[in-house]
Amino acid sequence: MSPGAEPSVADQFASAGTSADPPMGGADVDPSPGHADESTGGGEGGTTDADRYPTLSEEGRRMLRFLREHPHAPIYRNQSGNRLTAADVEHVRAFEREVAEAEVGWRPGEAPPWLDAFVERCFADTPFYRAYGSRPRHFHDVPTVSRADLERDVARFVPDGVPPGRLINFRTSGTTGHPLLLASVPVVAASYLAFLKRALRRWKVELTHGRGEVGVVLVGFQRTCFTYVSVTPHMDESGLAKINLHPGDWRDPDDRARYLDALAPEVLAGDPLSFSALAALPVTARPRALISTSMALRPALRGQLEERFGCPVLDLYSMNEAGPVAVYDEAEGGHVLVQHRLYLEILDGDGRPVAPGERGEVTLTGGFNPCLPLLRYRTGDHASLRLAPGREPVLVGLEGRPPVRFRTSAGEWLNNIEVTHALKSFPLAQFTLHQRADGGLRFRFGGGGDTGAIREALVALFGAGQGIEVEAGGLDDGKVVQYTSDLPGARP
Amino acid sequence: MDLEGPMLETLVRRLAETPEDFLAEPRIGTAGRVHTAAVVGDLLRALGGPAPGAELSRFGGADAKLDRNRLSVTLVLCWLLADQWFVRAALPLDRVLALLDEARELAAHTAAAKFVADADRREEMARLALARLGRRPAGETVAQAQDRLTTLSAAERNRVLRASRAAEERARAIREALVRKAADESADKWGRE
Repeated sequence: MSPGAEPSVADQFASAGTSADPPMGGADVDPSPGHADESTGGGEGGTTDADRYPTLSEEGRRMLRFLREHPHAPIYRNQSGNRLTAADVEHVRAFEREVAEAEVGWRPGEAPPWLDAFVERCFADTPFYRAYGSRPRHFHDVPTVSRADLERDVARFVPDGVPPGRLINFRTSGTTGHPLLLASVPVVAASYLAFLKRALRRWKVELTHGRGEVGVVLVGFQRTCFTYVSVTPHMDESGLAKINLHPGDWRDPDDRARYLDALAPEVLAGDPLSFSALAALPVTARPRALISTSMALRPALRGQLEERFGCPVLDLYSMNEAGPVAVYDEAEGGHVLVQHRLYLEILDGDGRPVAPGERGEVTLTGGFNPCLPLLRYRTGDHASLRLAPGREPVLVGLEGRPPVRFRTSAGEWLNNIEVTHALKSFPLAQFTLHQRADGGLRFRFGGGGDTGAIREALVALFGAGQGIEVEAGGLDDGKVVQYTSDLPGARP
Repeated sequence: MDLEGPMLETLVRRLAETPEDFLAEPRIGTAGRVHTAAVVGDLLRALGGPAPGAELSRFGGADAKLDRNRLSVTLVLCWLLADQWFVRAALPLDRVLALLDEARELAAHTAAAKFVADADRREEMARLALARLGRRPAGETVAQAQDRLTTLSAAERNRVLRASRAAEERARAIREALVRKAADESADKWGRE
């Protein structure tokens, strides 16, 4: 990133005029300057740049060209856009101010003051909740919902007043393999930045990028990955690129580092797998922060990334259903909530609130997506919740998926969180542990980590005589179910 | 409707004064407070009959999202039928059970609390209960009673039909919009999930 007097990356590109190599191998064809309403011709479903970037200026168009047509650019496979109208941009800016100033949290034993009106509205204008009948007197009597309810018919979660015309969708597959389309609108996607800015302030990072600069590069590392370029209107049309570090998306694998250095984004967003791949490249750019989402980021990998890139690495707990929920802060001992209109409960297997401090399923109410009001949405993730007066709530020991117990060689049961703790010093990008019906363990991992040392750590936990297979690699394509077991009694 | 029943106003007032216990959350699984099957059992005994478990099992629920309104409407009906007039009337219990089963249909389009808070729905429930038990409100002819119940029910049925048609149309438009936008994946956001 080069704020201040230095020429911006887009300016540098513009000064090269048309001498830059033309895009090859399927890169997008950009509309001619001054023809923002013209279809790109290659768009899906007849979508034009005017649909994707309703407020695009000449500067923004230049940024898009820079990102797409840079000589070291990847093969962009897809197209997307911010879809924000001028009114939307104002809305998003106002929302950013609201988020920056808001207090997050509620008093122990009480509900936040906005909750009552939110529940009332859900029962009045959201078909799915209206079908419950009368609103229960007590919040804890409201039925919980799960991903399965969304899968059945997400349309019934869209409140009456939302016009279908501007709906967009987010597709999520998670670890279940069942794709789910979630209703949203462009301002929701754009509002993510408000929560990221709030999270970044915990590390004293104030984003400064603007016109002619690249704000964020979203980094994936998958065999197939949705890739595109865009601009962020509420950051003065700074650039945004979503790229795939898999060599198959590049004309020359060495272009990966060159391109990232040329873009010099202020922020890199990715997941532990893509950041592990990124760290191995000779990138010299110095982002001001890395934001990791999508899967658990282990402390050792976080430390490695912080050292490699010289900036804070945020572990963001985020999901398509609710957006950014919380960010890990070691000083707080867990994930600190970032949304001011999101109420969290921790529920047991029967849907009852657990005692304060006990572990259970993270359950959400509220959110900022007007097309998907969440009313006691069971996330499938587990943690305990720490509330303290005047402090943001903290999720402690956050783990995705329901807990799984593993049996040691001595016949004792271990919760999977103990495995997580035992492995926290290894820079693993991702791992799975499976216990077979005969008690044998199979551990597979991606990213850094010494196979022998990992085996020792597991033997120390499970006891001598425990059969353990440790395999490196084979986990390079998306989310996995981390802990599984064939043993009866493994699900407490 | 050949037999004359109580004054309609008595029943409507009784519904308006439904006690909190009958409006409390029906027990489903480990949630809720009131065991609807037990309340139905108490009602059947109060009306002079046995309350066999096999008949009561259907007044339970497994999924709060699907069952709570039906059970809540059942509880309101139980309160209505516990009126002294019904207790003294020696009603055939199979007809009482058939009436309680109609809670499913009532619950499909009306929240239970409306049968307490809304004057038209109170009157509809009171008239429906009398009709299913072969009674008509005191002071009304059979024709008057039938006409008024039909008017109330038809108006409600039309309202429900219109609402459900509009809801289905809207849900279809939403599904189509979402599938259309699936082709060019939404708007960009600062994060991967």
